[in-house]
Amino acid sequence: MSVHGSQTVSSAAAIEVSGLVKRYPGAVALKGVDFRADYGEIAVVMGENGAGKSTLMKILAGVETPTSGEVRIDGRTVRLRSVRDAESRGIAMVHQELNLLPNLSVTDNIFAGHEIRHAYGWVRRRVEEQRGREALEILHHPLPPEQLVGSLPLGHQQIVELARAIARRSKILILDEPTSTLSSAEVEILFQVLDRLRRSGVCIIYISHRLREVLEIGERFTVLRDGCIAGRADRRHVDESWLVEQMTGRPALRTRSGSAPQQHRAVLSVAGLSLCSASGARRALSDVTFSLHRGEVLGVYGLLGAGRTELLECLSGARPGFTGRVCLEGVSVRLDTVAGALRKGIALVPEDRKRDGLVPELSVRENIALLGLRECCAGPWLLAKKERRTVEAWASRVNLNPACLDLPISALSGGNQQKAILLRCLLCRPRVLLLDEPTRGIDVGAKAEIAALLRSLAAEGLSVLFTTSEPEELLQIADRCLVLSRGVITRDRVVSEISEEELYIADSEKPERTGTDW
Amino acid sequence: MSTQVIPAGGPPESVPGRSPGRSIASGLLRARALVALVLVAGVFSLLTPDFLTANNLSILTRHVSINALLAVGMTFVVIGGGIDLSVGSIAGFSGMVAGLLITHGILIGGMAHPWYPSAWLVILAALAAGALVGAINGVLIAKFRVAPFIATLGTLYIARGAALLVSNGRTFPGLAGDAARHNTGFPLLGDGTWLSIAAPIWMMVIIALVAHVLATRTVFGRHVYALGGNERAAVLSGILTGRVKFFSYLFSGICAALAGAIIAAQLEAAHPATGESFELTAIAAVVLGGTSLAGGRGSIFGSLAGAFVIGVLADGLVMLGVSEFWQIVIKGLVIVLAVILDQAQSGFQARFLPGWVRETGN
Repeated sequence: MSVHGSQTVSSAAAIEVSGLVKRYPGAVALKGVDFRADYGEIAVVMGENGAGKSTLMKILAGVETPTSGEVRIDGRTVRLRSVRDAESRGIAMVHQELNLLPNLSVTDNIFAGHEIRHAYGWVRRRVEEQRGREALEILHHPLPPEQLVGSLPLGHQQIVELARAIARRSKILILDEPTSTLSSAEVEILFQVLDRLRRSGVCIIYISHRLREVLEIGERFTVLRDGCIAGRADRRHVDESWLVEQMTGRPALRTRSGSAPQQHRAVLSVAGLSLCSASGARRALSDVTFSLHRGEVLGVYGLLGAGRTELLECLSGARPGFTGRVCLEGVSVRLDTVAGALRKGIALVPEDRKRDGLVPELSVRENIALLGLRECCAGPWLLAKKERRTVEAWASRVNLNPACLDLPISALSGGNQQKAILLRCLLCRPRVLLLDEPTRGIDVGAKAEIAALLRSLAAEGLSVLFTTSEPEELLQIADRCLVLSRGVITRDRVVSEISEEELYIADSEKPERTGTDW
Repeated sequence: MSTQVIPAGGPPESVPGRSPGRSIASGLLRARALVALVLVAGVFSLLTPDFLTANNLSILTRHVSINALLAVGMTFVVIGGGIDLSVGSIAGFSGMVAGLLITHGILIGGMAHPWYPSAWLVILAALAAGALVGAINGVLIAKFRVAPFIATLGTLYIARGAALLVSNGRTFPGLAGDAARHNTGFPLLGDGTWLSIAAPIWMMVIIALVAHVLATRTVFGRHVYALGGNERAAVLSGILTGRVKFFSYLFSGICAALAGAIIAAQLEAAHPATGESFELTAIAAVVLGGTSLAGGRGSIFGSLAGAFVIGVLADGLVMLGVSEFWQIVIKGLVIVLAVILDQAQSGFQARFLPGWVRETGN
């Protein structure tokens, strides 16, 4: 594949842009970008948030039009005026936030907006079902066509998105952070699918923050920084430190030394925690037992659907109705409301920032002080000045620019939003901080910052429990790790005694999930 | 652990400020209810010389105060992502309770003659009646998770039915009271003055100030905005959303009851059909004032300005002699226009955020 370097312009590229500029009022997102991708190859685009990769992809997908510059498909200059326009030229984009209709079936989703019709406008359901099934078979994932998409696990929802692109016979497939919601086993499946698509001649443009994954799958690498191309190389010239260097403009740094954590008394101990899943069909968690010590960072690693989120929700009081014993500093506690858990000193940073964390209408400061900070309230009154000072002081600690505190939170990048939610929890002065996938969908720099912050909080005596689906991250941040597989803890180890390989093995120890699971 | 942290994703040191033109434009859009009010008032004072007289403005403000009270109460509910359709019926019901107490008193078991509460107690009882219906709304919505539209639609009928049942559908006339019964003074709520300003206007000002302080300076206010902006996030960050909902409906009920008592006091009569369709006018005022029906955004003074726009429009058109039917059409047009402006404002604000924050969206 690496025979076509960017110099050889022998055959027409599947898609090629040159001198692409995109100006917004007050900002230039792209400052003259050249980029190409060929059929039958996986082209990786990387860059931190704000580097311009989303803008580039939006232009390719017809969501935005460039200020100047050229887009060529199969060598012909085109203007992509709308998403439909791009689609009709064979471009399909799978967004990071899945664009699915949870209330409709798999087939309806695959053909949403592109229904196959009779002459009189009737929808040809049989044909749709047939074609949908074919698309899913190409992906080796025969999901039941009449299944409601909302009831599928996220990994399978992603498959539906891909099936949608295939059913439309797209030649150019853009994937924006496709693995941010997937666990390692599901990523494996996705990669097999992508490889199959690549070999069938599809051009795949792949955007990700995850270094290890792109190195596994990518062939041609393009790194954007501040709206310009920072680097371009083929797989054989690329390694992790090269990518980090190109993205940040600085050499890569290790976030963690190997110092052994000291053992303190248990702050949180959980014994025999079990939870029935919503349908009641199987146990989402069964007999989970572990303890968390003062100043310890405990990582929970597991597949999607392994019960990570459920475990944290139980501990944060968001899911009353579990059985088992939870003790805080040796005292048995009831965790049946979030407010109650918070009063006892357990705070949760939820997994889905947009859905469960942010109040988009409010400013960053108000989001941080959403609950009304204890020390900034006199009875029912909010002390505005004091609140401002307190929030500013903490914001600088997590490297959040104080100038952005009065902006609506929806204007911030994922990384900064995450820092704001984290601050909200910290300002409640918790003893135990729970974080569900704290680095999901944020860039490398912000990831390193959050990792460093968790370490320093732990050093100050806070007990941290976080979940992750990235082994690399687990080994970097955590002192100790739990591996959760289908609601059961299969490993409880100090990280220095566990390897990435063992994590992979541990989370697939139970039988693989099969079609009967959903 | 490394102490160095990569400052990625963070904004640059220098934050580009907004140009003055833009901030004026967006400021005008944000205060559009006030702008509309000035415009409408300006037009009417040009067209009818009698409009801008102290006497007329005082009459106008007294008219507006009723709707303003309803709108201010409704604002919390709407910011919190709900709706209160029962306010008109609550106004009618509370007026009837006042009427019953003044004209018939209370017959407590075994007494030969009914006991007549003083005007103060009558007003308190009327407010309590509204609080009761508001509390029912709150419990239905917060505890039994009935959709606000349905719950308050139900209490709209219930409270109206109750208002009719109080008197079997008849009007209570003569709420002036009787000196012999020591229950005179109720009409002062409608036409009494202090510092030559009428009581209803005082009520409106006081309630609006209280509500404004509640919205901007208290934890409750913050929680209402959070609830309307993202209920899941509110719950997960430990806000007792049920309690917040309950109190916002309770407050709305009390405001509506006060409005109902004022109407009864002004007319010196309580009619069971009082307040029909007032809920819609109140919602219109709230929306005109820039409060989002989807919740999470809005202000008390906005609703107040919205109520004034509607009031000025109504009185001004009457003074101009515009047909009553056209008045209805114009009112509708103004509401639709307000919502269009609302959409424009959201887009406008997004476009003029500083560059470095806009580009980092993921």
